[in-house]
Amino acid sequence: MKIRRRNRRRPIVSISAMSDIAFLLLIFILLISLINYRREIPIRYPEAETIETTQGDKNLEVWIDPTGGTFIQGVRYNLSGIEEIIVEGIQKNPSLRIHILADRETPYRYVHGVMEILRRLQHRVVSLVIRERKPE
Amino acid sequence: MRIQIRRRRGPEIGESGTLSDLAFLLIIFFIVIAVFNVNQGFLLGLPRPDSKRIVDRQDLLRVELTSGGTIRMDGKTITLQELTKNALAFRQSHPNMTFALRIDPDTPYQKVVDIVDLVRKLDIDNFSFTMRDVP
Repeated sequence: MKIRRRNRRRPIVSISAMSDIAFLLLIFILLISLINYRREIPIRYPEAETIETTQGDKNLEVWIDPTGGTFIQGVRYNLSGIEEIIVEGIQKNPSLRIHILADRETPYRYVHGVMEILRRLQHRVVSLVIRERKPE
Repeated sequence: MRIQIRRRRGPEIGESGTLSDLAFLLIIFFIVIAVFNVNQGFLLGLPRPDSKRIVDRQDLLRVELTSGGTIRMDGKTITLQELTKNALAFRQSHPNMTFALRIDPDTPYQKVVDIVDLVRKLDIDNFSFTMRDVP
């Protein structure tokens, strides 16, 4: 009897499924970064040596430029507008972390204005966003 | 002469590997971008509007920041290094010291950050800062 030899086929790993997963992941991360999109105001950050991570689970950033203009998500508001947004944010999420991002040359009165709002609202914690000073 | 016709080979599925490489590189790029958005700085506890604390006057280290950003202590202008030395000496003689900073409304923010940084470096627990009233 003649035994028929089977030709072994070389195993093929199809990576088309992998690229599908990669693109799904890519779309997911793109959407997440769009949701977390941060509208920055051009400021020169103040610098210090003893800094810590101040990011909370939910964050609200108040930007103050050197002339004292206050911005949230790239939109300029006066102090009462800022207060309204903060109140709304705290009502939705009481543990909302408020960050103040002010230019190093901003007169302190404008930073104080935002802090006074938080103090009036009895919001106990504020984050002053600062860059790390590199040792000379 | 016989012309040989070359048959074009269709794209193989296995070649889409480069596509997945590209996708993964983009994923890493976006993850790195997301990490860059983490805020760093100082976390400060704000007092209640009506809170008052009684402090012994002798334990009070009063420091003033002028509109130009100069540091004044006991009516004298001092440098940040001198303030560090003075604060350290004061803490040795007054372990319950309170660092009271009075800031001019026009002081550049960086100067305020410098003092807060110093207080944190020296590990001073009681720190209060107020803005000088504008007449």
